[in-house]
Amino acid sequence: MEELLNISPIHASILVVLLPFVAFLIQAIRGKKSNSGNISLIAITLSTLLSGIFVFAEVWNYLPMHSTYDWFRIGEKTFTIGILLNNLTVLMLFIVCIVALPVHIYSRAYMKGDPGLHRYWMYLSLFCFAMLGLCISKNILVSYIFWELVGFASYLLIGFWFTKESAVQANKKAFLINRIGDLGFLIGIAAVFTSFGTLDLVELFGKEGLIYSEFDKDSGLMTLAGLGFFLGAMAKSAQFPLHIWLPDAMEGPTSVSSLIHAATMVAAGVFLLCTIFPLFNDTVLLLITIIGTITATLAAYFAAGQYDIKRVLAFSTISQLGYMMAAVGIGAWDAALFHLATHAFFKCLLFLCAGAVIHEIAHAKTIAGLDFDPQDLRNMGGLRKYMPKTFVLMSIASLALAGFPLTSGFLSKDAIVIATFEWAFHKGGAYFIVPILLVLVSIITAFYIGRLIFKAFMGESRLPEPAESNIHEAPKQMLYPMYFLAICSLFFVFSINPISYHQAGILSGFSVNYTFKEIHSLHLFIPLTLTATALISWIIGYRWYVLNKYPLNAESGWIKAETNQLGINDFINNTIVKVTLIISRASVWLDKYIVEGLVNSASKGTLYLSKIATLLDRHLVDGFVMAIRNLTIGLSRVAAWWDKHIVDGIVNTIAGLAYYLGHLLRWVQNGRIQNYLGFAFTIVLIGILYLILR
Amino acid sequence: MITLTHFLVVSACIFSIGLYTVLAKRNAIMILVGIELMINAAILNFVAFGRYDKINYSGQVFALFAIVLAAASVAVGLAIILNVYRHYKTINPDQITDLRD
Repeated sequence: MEELLNISPIHASILVVLLPFVAFLIQAIRGKKSNSGNISLIAITLSTLLSGIFVFAEVWNYLPMHSTYDWFRIGEKTFTIGILLNNLTVLMLFIVCIVALPVHIYSRAYMKGDPGLHRYWMYLSLFCFAMLGLCISKNILVSYIFWELVGFASYLLIGFWFTKESAVQANKKAFLINRIGDLGFLIGIAAVFTSFGTLDLVELFGKEGLIYSEFDKDSGLMTLAGLGFFLGAMAKSAQFPLHIWLPDAMEGPTSVSSLIHAATMVAAGVFLLCTIFPLFNDTVLLLITIIGTITATLAAYFAAGQYDIKRVLAFSTISQLGYMMAAVGIGAWDAALFHLATHAFFKCLLFLCAGAVIHEIAHAKTIAGLDFDPQDLRNMGGLRKYMPKTFVLMSIASLALAGFPLTSGFLSKDAIVIATFEWAFHKGGAYFIVPILLVLVSIITAFYIGRLIFKAFMGESRLPEPAESNIHEAPKQMLYPMYFLAICSLFFVFSINPISYHQAGILSGFSVNYTFKEIHSLHLFIPLTLTATALISWIIGYRWYVLNKYPLNAESGWIKAETNQLGINDFINNTIVKVTLIISRASVWLDKYIVEGLVNSASKGTLYLSKIATLLDRHLVDGFVMAIRNLTIGLSRVAAWWDKHIVDGIVNTIAGLAYYLGHLLRWVQNGRIQNYLGFAFTIVLIGILYLILR
Repeated sequence: MITLTHFLVVSACIFSIGLYTVLAKRNAIMILVGIELMINAAILNFVAFGRYDKINYSGQVFALFAIVLAAASVAVGLAIILNVYRHYKTINPDQITDLRD
C-alpha cells in the first residue's frame, strides 16, 4: 500500500494521459456494445483523482519536474519526448480533468438514447487524451501532434450528427480554419528549431534557458516565430478573424460544446502562448493585444444580436478569449491564466444549463409533435417557473461571466482590466483605447448575458401551448454536475478575499514581473465602475426584454449587422472561397492540358524504353538465368542420389535390424504358461551348466 | 547293496518324468500329476538323506511335512483348474494365452 501511494508525479501524469486513451481503444474495439459510457467515465474519474492527488498537490508551488526520453535522431539532432510538470502545466492538467468529469456525468443523461452513442464516448475519450497530453508535453513537436489530435477530435465531435448537413459543413469549416492556425504553429516550430536547435521547453524557457542567453529577440526570425505561434493560437482560441468556426461548431452536442468549445480546447491557444511567453518580442505582444481587444469587442457586439442560445454563448466565449489574449499581450499572462481557469468553470456551467434547457424543450417538442427550433431564444421565455434550479444555476454562471462581486469572474476580470489600465498608464497616449474597449466589452457582456437570462427565463412564455405543459426540471444526473460547477464559479474556490484578486492562489503560483507599475487607486475604482455599469445594463435589459419596452427598431442596420456578424462569413465566402475556386479551376486546366501532355509524352518515352528493356531481358537475362537453372538442376540430382542411397540406406538398415530383433523376441512372449516354464528351466539349466563347466 | 546313489538316480528319473509331464502334457490335470511327481522326487531325496540323521530323523519329519503340503497344494491346484475350466471351457493350457502381451 505504501508503494502504491508513492507514485511519482511523472508516472501519475503519464497515467492521467493514458487512461482516456485506453478507454478510447477499448471502446473502439468493442464498437456498438459499449454505449453506456462507463469506460470513459471510469477513465476520466481515475485521471481526475490522479491529477488532483498525485500531480497537482505534489507539484503546485513546489519545484517543477521534468523527464525526457530520446525519441529519434536526425543527423546530429536528437528529438526527445518528455513530460514537463510545473505550476502552469499541472494547473491546466487539473482544470481539464475537473471540467471533463462533470461533462462526462452530464453526457450520460444528455446523450441518452442517441443511436451513435458508442462513437460519442469513443471520441470524447480521444479528446481527453489529446488535451491532457497537450498540457504536459515537454517537446513542442509533441505538443503539435497533440494539438492536431485535439483539432481532429473536435472535428469528429462537431460532426457527431453527421447526417445533418449543417453539422458536416460546420466541422469542415472548423477543420479548415484550424489548418491555417496549424500552419502558423508549424512555421513557429521551424523558426524556433532553426534558431535554437532544440524544441525542448525546459532547454528553451527553463531557468537558464537558451531564450535568456545572448539572444536577440527582436530579430526578424523571432518575430516570425512569435507570429506563427500566435496564428496557431488564434485559430485554436477563435481570435478575429479566424473566430468564424466557433459559432458554427455549436452544431455539435451541447455537452461537447461545453467541454471543448468553452473550457478546454479553445483555451489551448491561450495556454500555448503562456507556455512560450518569453519568446515574444514587443511587436508580437502588441499585435496579440490588438487582436485580443478587437476580438473581445466584436464578439461581444455580435453576441448581443444572436437569437440562438448556444451562439450567444459561443460569441461570449470568443469575447472572453479575447480578454485573455489581451492580457497575454500586455504581459499579464498570469491574469490570463487566472481568467482561463475561472472562465472554464462558469462557461462550462452556462453551456450545461443551456443544454438542459435545449434538452427539455426538445423533449417537450417531440412529445407535443410540434416543429420549432428548440435553441431559439424567441421561442423561450418564462422558463423560471418550470426549471427553477436550472434558472438559479444559470444566474450564478451569468453573474460570474458579467464579473459580479462574490463570483470568480469578478476576480479574474478585474485582474485583467486593472492590469490593462496600468499598462496603458505606463505607455500613455493611444494605448488607452485598449482598456477603454475592454471596459466597454465588460458592459456589453453584462448586457447580453442579461438579455439571455431575461429572454429565456423571465417574462411570458413564448412556447407553443401544447409543448409548454411538458417542460420540467432537468434530470438529477444533469443537475449534480451543474451544482458542482456552480460552486466552482464562486470566489472562495480561488481566493479567500472576495473583493481583491491579490490573494488568489493561482496568481500567487506564477511570479510574473510586470513591466508597468501598480496604481492603487485603480484597484478600488475599476471594480466599482464595472459592477455599477453591469447593474445599469441589467436594468436596461430588464426594461427592454421583460417589460417589453423595446426602444430600438429591430430592422435597423446596427442590429442586422450584429446578427449577421458584420458579414464576415459572407465576405470570406465571396472573396477567399471564390478566389480559391478560381485558382483551383485554373489548376484543373493546367493539369488537364499541360501536366497531362507532359505525362503523356513521358509515358510514350517510357513505353519505348521498356520495349528495349524487354529485348535485353529476353536474350541476355533469360540466357543467364537458364544457365544457372541447369547448373542447379544437376547439383540437386547429385544431392538427391546421395540422399536416397546413402543417408536413407543407413537409416533403413538400422530400422530393419531393430524390427527383426523385435520380431524374433516377440515369439517368446506367446502367453503359453508351459513355454514360459520351459524357458525358465532352460535358462536355469544353462546357468547350472555354466557353473559346472566353469 | 542299495546305496544312496541308487536312491538319487531313481529320484532324478522321477523328477525328469514330472518335468516332462509339466512341460509337454495338453491337460492341466496331467500337469498337476507332473508337479506331484516332482514333489515326490524331492521327498524321496529327503528320506534318502535322512539316514545320516539318526538322532532327530529330520529327513523323515520333513518328508511327512512335504507330503501334507503336497496334498494341500493338489487341492488348491484342482480348485484352480476347476475355475479355469468354468471360465475358459477348456483345460488345455495351449489354448489359454491371456498372458500374451
